Amino acid sequence: MKIRNVFFPLLIIGLSWSCSNDDEEIQEPMGDYANGILVSNEGPFSNGTGTVTFISEDLSVVNNGIYKMTNDEDLGNVVQSIGFTENEAFIVANVSNKINVVNRYTFEKIASITDGLNNPRYFIEANGKGYVTNWGDTADETDDFVAIINLQNYTVEGTISVILGPEAILAKDNTVYVAHQGAWGQNNKVSVINTSSNELIKTLTVGDVPNSMQLDASGNLWVLASGKPAYTGDETAGVLTKINTGTNEVDNSFQFETTQHPSSLNLDAGILYYRLGDTVFEQSLSATSLNMETVLEGVSFYTMVVNNGRLYGTDAGDYASNGTLTVYDLNTELTIKALTVGIIPGGIYFN
Amino acid sequence: MEKKQLFLFFIGLMAFAQVFGQRDGVIVLDEVILSDAKLLHFSKGTKVRVVNDSVQEKSGSSLTDLLRYNSNIYFKENGYGMVSSASFRGTNAQQTAVVWNGININSQLTGQTDFNTLIPGNYGDVVVRSGGGSVQYGSGAVGGAILLNDSFRFNDGWKNSLQSSYGSFNTSKLAFNTSLGKEKTSLQIGINRIASDNDYKYLGTDLRNENGAYDQLNINANVGFILSDQQILKVYHNTFNGDRDFSGTLTAPANENYRDLNHRSLIEFSSFNERKIARLKVGHLYERYRYFPNNQREEFSFGQANTLLANYDYKYQWNRISLNGIIDFSTIWAKGTSIENAQRSFVSGTFLFSHELSDKLNYGINLRQEIVSDYQNPFLFSLNSSYKVAKNYIININGSKNHRVPTFNDLYWSGAGASGNLEVLPETSWQVEIGQTIEVKNIALSLNAYSITTDNLIQWRPNTQGVWMAMNVQDVSQYGMELGFDWKRKWGNQELVWESEYAYTKSIDNTTKNQLLYVLEHMLRSNLAYQYKKLVAFYQFLYTGSVYTTTDNSDSLSSYTVGNIGLDYHWPNISGIKFILGLKVNNLFNKNYQNVAYRPMPNRNFQIQLITKF
Repeated sequence: MKIRNVFFPLLIIGLSWSCSNDDEEIQEPMGDYANGILVSNEGPFSNGTGTVTFISEDLSVVNNGIYKMTNDEDLGNVVQSIGFTENEAFIVANVSNKINVVNRYTFEKIASITDGLNNPRYFIEANGKGYVTNWGDTADETDDFVAIINLQNYTVEGTISVILGPEAILAKDNTVYVAHQGAWGQNNKVSVINTSSNELIKTLTVGDVPNSMQLDASGNLWVLASGKPAYTGDETAGVLTKINTGTNEVDNSFQFETTQHPSSLNLDAGILYYRLGDTVFEQSLSATSLNMETVLEGVSFYTMVVNNGRLYGTDAGDYASNGTLTVYDLNTELTIKALTVGIIPGGIYFN
Repeated sequence: MEKKQLFLFFIGLMAFAQVFGQRDGVIVLDEVILSDAKLLHFSKGTKVRVVNDSVQEKSGSSLTDLLRYNSNIYFKENGYGMVSSASFRGTNAQQTAVVWNGININSQLTGQTDFNTLIPGNYGDVVVRSGGGSVQYGSGAVGGAILLNDSFRFNDGWKNSLQSSYGSFNTSKLAFNTSLGKEKTSLQIGINRIASDNDYKYLGTDLRNENGAYDQLNINANVGFILSDQQILKVYHNTFNGDRDFSGTLTAPANENYRDLNHRSLIEFSSFNERKIARLKVGHLYERYRYFPNNQREEFSFGQANTLLANYDYKYQWNRISLNGIIDFSTIWAKGTSIENAQRSFVSGTFLFSHELSDKLNYGINLRQEIVSDYQNPFLFSLNSSYKVAKNYIININGSKNHRVPTFNDLYWSGAGASGNLEVLPETSWQVEIGQTIEVKNIALSLNAYSITTDNLIQWRPNTQGVWMAMNVQDVSQYGMELGFDWKRKWGNQELVWESEYAYTKSIDNTTKNQLLYVLEHMLRSNLAYQYKKLVAFYQFLYTGSVYTTTDNSDSLSSYTVGNIGLDYHWPNISGIKFILGLKVNNLFNKNYQNVAYRPMPNRNFQIQLITKF
C-alpha cells in the first residue's frame, strides 16, 4: 500500500498526530503458528515498527506481535508484506530496508537481510531463489530493481534492473511476473522475467497503475489496474487484463469507467473478486464483459483477501490505532467475526 | 441648549483626563516602547508567566529547551533538535500560537511553529500566556500563546554580551548581542550561531543518532527612534536560517535533510499623548522550507509563504477605562511543490475594553471579527476579570471563544494521494478558566483550573476514494489543573530560588472518551537555584508522565524523569568586563527517554559556557 508515500511529505512538515507501537502484547506464548492466518500490520508510518498477528484457523485465538514475542526485537518500520517459501516467511520492512526471515510456523528468526535492498516491497519464491521488488531511491525513476535472494545464505546475490515502480510479484513455474504500479508515480507495465537466466524477457502493457495479479487454473494471468487517480489531472479508467502465460500476450482486457479505480484482485473457486470503492464485486473467469456483480457493500477495506469461500477484509480505522480484520462468509454474505489486529493491517496470509 | 451642555460636559471630562493623565506621561512612553501592549492591558485575568534573561542563559539554545523546563508545555521532538511541536494544555501543535512582537508567526503552511527554529536568546523576554487568546493573537491561540518581544532601551548606554559555549556531540554556540541606547535612539543587534553533530548514543542499543546534525543562524536587529514627544518609530527584523539532517528512528535509518528560512520584518510608527496611543504597523513575513528526502541528492520539495500585513491600532485611555480598536489587513501568498499559487486575504476588526472598576476589581471585554476570503470564520470574544480579594490574594476568571483556521496545506495541498479540502471549517473552541494566586512574603502559590471544548478538529483522513484530505472529524475536550509554587529566600550573601509546577491534563476525544495522542496526564517540573557570593548552582528537574501513542490508547510511552545540573561562576569585574563561566550537565542520570516513540533523546552530555559582558 502506498499510504506512507502519500503521507510522508505531509508528515515531514508536521501533522497533528503520529503514533507508535510498543509491545505490550501479553498473550500466552503459542510456539506453533501453523494452521492459521497471519496478518502483517504496517505499523505507524512515521516512526515505530510493524507487527505480525496470528489468528488460529477457528478464529478463536488472536496473538498480536508474534515476531517480537518470539524474538524480542522489532520487525522494522512499515511492514509492507510477507512472502513465503515452504518453511520460511520473509517479512519485508519497507522503510527499514530490511527483510527478516523466520520459520513460518514457529516465527523464530533465521536471518535478517539488509544489504542490497532499497525500498523493498514484495517477495516471491521461484526456481529455488527469492525475488523481491524494490523501488530504489524514490527520487530516481531509473534505479528500480528486483533483488535475487539466495535462499541458502539469505543474501542478495544479484539484481535485475526493471522499469519504474515494481510492486506485486507472482511466479508461474520458472517465470516471474512483476506489476509496475509506479512507486510514487504511475506506470502501466508488467515485466516478465525468466528465472533460469534471470533476465527480463518481455514487457507487457496493461492498464494504468496495476495493483494486483492472480493466476487461474488454465494458466491465465489476470492483472487488475486501478487507473490514474483524479489528482494526477489525467484520470484514467481501471482495467482488468487477461494475459496468456503460454504466449505472454494480452488475451483480453475489460475497461471500467474513468472514475472507477478497482483494486485487490482475488481468485477463489474459479471466481475473481475485486474491490471498487466501498463495494466488493465478483467476475466470472469466462465472462466477456465486466459482470459488476455485487458481493458486499458498505465496506472500508484497507486490504482484502478471498480464501476458501471466506472474505477477509481489514480496516485501518484512523491509521493511528489498532485495525480490525473482519471475516465474511461469501455464501451467506454475513460477518463471521471481527477481530482486533495491529496498526494498519496491510497483508493477510494463510499458514 | 442641551447640546451645549453636553459639549461642556465633555470639555470638563477631557480637562480632567488631561490633569489626571499628566502624571502618566512616562508610563505612556514605556507602554509605547513595548512591542505588545495588548498583554499589558487586555490580558488581566489570564495566566501570564515571564521567562526572563537569567533563566534563558541557564537553558539550552532553542525555544524548546527553554520552555520544556520553564513551562508546562509538552514538546514532541523528533529527536533532539529536530521538528518540535508543542502541546499546551492538552491541545495540539496548531493550537498554540507563537507571537513575535504582537504578530502571530505560526506557519501559514502547517499552522504550527517548530520550536527548534526559534532562538530565544536575543529577546528581552519570553512570555507564556496560558489559555485562549484568539481575540488578541489570532488563529491558534487556543491552548495558549508564546510571546517573543524585542525590547528597546533608550538612555541605556552601550552594552555588549558575548556568549560562547562548547559541549558534547561537538555542539558549539556563539551568541553576540550589542545594544546602544541613546536619548532618542535605540539599537539592538543579536546574532546566534549554533552547530552540532548531535550524534548522541541511543542508550541501550549500539546505535547513534547518525543523521541528526544541525546548523543554525539567527539574527535579530531592531532600531527605535523617538521622533518627538509624541512620536516613536520602531523597526524590527529577525532572520532564521536552519539546516538540519533529520534523525532516523530506532527501526529505520534516515538520510533526509531539511532547511528552513524565515525573514520577519516590521515597521511600527506610534503617535501618542497622555490619553491615546495610535500605532501603525506594516510587516512582512517570509517562510520557506526545503525538504531533501536524500541528502546525497539534489532533488527537494519545498513550500513557501509570504505574508504582507498592515495593522492600525488605536488605544484610548479614559480614567479607568482602556479602549482599543484594531484593524488588521493581511494578504498571504503561498506556493510549493504540492501547493500551486494560493492566496488568502483577510481583514479583521478587534475591539478591546478594559475597566478598572475599583482598585480591587477589573474586567475586560474583547471582541474580534474576521472576514476571510477562503473559509468561514466565526466571531470571537473573550471576557476576563481579576479580583483582588485581599492584599495577597487574587482571583482571576476568564472565558473565551477561540479558533484555529485551516492552513494552506489543509485547503490547497495537492499531491500524490492527498488533497486539500476547501470545505474544511475552522476549529472553534470555547473555554473557561479560574485562577488564584497567593503571595506571602517569599512564597507565591498559584492554582489554575480550566476547561476547553473544541469542535471540528481538523485532521487528515482518507475520503471514500482513498484520497487523504483535511476533514473536520473530531470534537475534543480538555480540562486540567495547574499548581505553581515559587519560593525565594535571601539571607546574608546567599539566595535560594525554588520554582515548581505540577500540571494535570485530560484531553479527550468526545466520541471515544480516549485520551488524545501525546498528551501527558501528569507533569511535574522544579527548578532550584542557589547563589553563594559569586557562585550559582542550579538544578532542573522534569517528570513527564506516560503518554498514549495510539488513538485507541492501546500503546503508550513510559514516563521519565530528567535532571540537569549546572554551576556558574561570576568572575569579579575586570576593568568593567564581567565574566560568567558556566558548566552544565544535561540528563545527569543518563536516562533513556523518548518524547516521540522510537526517537530517543540524548544521553548524559556536558556543556561549558563563557559569557562576557562589557
